[in-house]
Amino acid sequence: MLHGLTLGSMYALVAAGLALMLGVARLINFAHGEFFMLGAYVFWFGYSELGLPYPVAALLAPAVMVAFGIAYQRTVIRAILPRSWHVQLIATLATSIVLTNLAIIVLGTQPKEVPTALSSRILDVAGLRVAWQRLLVLAASLAIFWGLHWFVGRTRTGRAMRAMSQNREACAVVGVDVQWTAMVTFAISAALAAIAAALVSPLFNIFPDMGTTLTLKAFAAVVAGGFGYVNGAIAASFLIGLTEALAGSYISYAYKDAIAFVIMIAVLLWRPQGLFGRRIGI
Amino acid sequence: MRRVGWLVLGVAILAAPWLVAAVVPRQQRYVLHVLIFTALFAALALSYDLVVGHVGSLSLGHPAFFGVGAYTAAILATQARWSFLTDVFAAGLAAAVVAALVGVPLFRLAEHAFAVGTLGLALVASVVANNWVQVTRGPLCITGIPKPALGPLAVATLPAFYWLALAALIVVVSLYQGLTTFRLGRAFHAVRDNEPLAASAGIDPLKYRLLAFTIAAGLAGAVGALYVHYLSVMCPEEMTVALTVNLLVIVFLGGVGSLRGVLVGAVLFTALPEVLRLAPTWRLVIYGGLLLLVVIRSPGGIESLLRRASR
Repeated sequence: MLHGLTLGSMYALVAAGLALMLGVARLINFAHGEFFMLGAYVFWFGYSELGLPYPVAALLAPAVMVAFGIAYQRTVIRAILPRSWHVQLIATLATSIVLTNLAIIVLGTQPKEVPTALSSRILDVAGLRVAWQRLLVLAASLAIFWGLHWFVGRTRTGRAMRAMSQNREACAVVGVDVQWTAMVTFAISAALAAIAAALVSPLFNIFPDMGTTLTLKAFAAVVAGGFGYVNGAIAASFLIGLTEALAGSYISYAYKDAIAFVIMIAVLLWRPQGLFGRRIGI
Repeated sequence: MRRVGWLVLGVAILAAPWLVAAVVPRQQRYVLHVLIFTALFAALALSYDLVVGHVGSLSLGHPAFFGVGAYTAAILATQARWSFLTDVFAAGLAAAVVAALVGVPLFRLAEHAFAVGTLGLALVASVVANNWVQVTRGPLCITGIPKPALGPLAVATLPAFYWLALAALIVVVSLYQGLTTFRLGRAFHAVRDNEPLAASAGIDPLKYRLLAFTIAAGLAGAVGALYVHYLSVMCPEEMTVALTVNLLVIVFLGGVGSLRGVLVGAVLFTALPEVLRLAPTWRLVIYGGLLLLVVIRSPGGIESLLRRASR
């Protein structure tokens, strides 16, 4: 159960970034899982290789990935934004493949483990044994979702993001800085993925091609939760994480990766607009 | 003059085994192997282009149908001892049936979501191939798939297999042309170019998309069957996402929705890496970069360059 919540938090952080990009920039970023993968390696490098303390290494990952996200938006995304969705999809898929295989070449396929003090410390409550790290994942994710909600609802840039998700042209007309807002969106998305990576890396192995599966599951959550609707994506992520954990322990571990898609297809057959969705908009 | 050029090209392609033997006698086997791969990949890419290029649905699930066909043929040939032609036919049929079944829910997804859904399908298929050990033998692979035989005629040598692959390619090319030129082709293009308009003119988009998807899957399954009969072994690695990338590179590098473009793409794609002798991971990095460059700089691929040159 708690394992499912951990998985759900991870998927939700990644899916929220994906939904944000889709909502604001109308863009499906197939390289989003690679943000997570790179974030995890940055964290590994900071924590294991440089010997930084956990909080510092955990903040280093989003810091580096924000820079990477902005660079990605400046180069690849700007070139493809005016193009058809075919081109956008293939371009981001190509980026994902380049990043994955570069990671394989540079870092090798050997999985890396980053156990921290919190991942081995166990909290024992009435026979229920829980690693502290899992509690940290949950608490931090909830705090971040709350922060994201506040940012999008209350700040000037956040409101600009919501406005852009409704009508880009109108935003440009009334003087919203469209480029700046898009850049902030990418920075936030990349940071969310990197934070997720820094939070769960102590619990799971890190390997170069973990991004692809994660992108797909996050997509399944975004699609099931209502296209581009952030809260829906978060809710659907937890649903997928919990189902996966339960199916993994009671039905079949080997087929757990297929669960997300079964859920997605089932939801879409029942409600084509997604669980909570009406139209695109954050 | 042009006609003579085409005739020479056609004869050269038909006589390739002898030409290769005459020009590079030492590497005859290797060159023929590359040529066979080129023909099979060209056929597979053409089947893929039926969906991507002609009805405009970006499917990323083609490896699943290739895999269904390949495994069907592998199992029927090794365990039930079916003859070559019947198992190729059964492989195509199995892949088409699977496509028709999954196509109904998948086509409820619009544009991006369809791409994601089909990619998910490919992923699920490869998970199943790895884990359904009783049937697919998982990572142990199905081995000992017999060489094809057409009645009493055994296709055991490389030149013979080359002609078989070429014949298969010709069949796929004629099907591709037939499906995309006449009334049906016009309906496909109408659905691709303007879906609401097509629907209002009485062309049911779902019906035509599903039709193209099913036919493409059937062809992919049949090519998969040929492929395993050639390699005589089928492993789950043959149907990973990497295959989708290869197909995307061939189709988009060559030219979406164009017979000539896809054929040129397939030749370039299979010949280039052999010439460059790259490690597989570097190969994917380069393909990814190339794909990125092509879709950003010239979405029409090589075909658009050829058109410009001939004008």
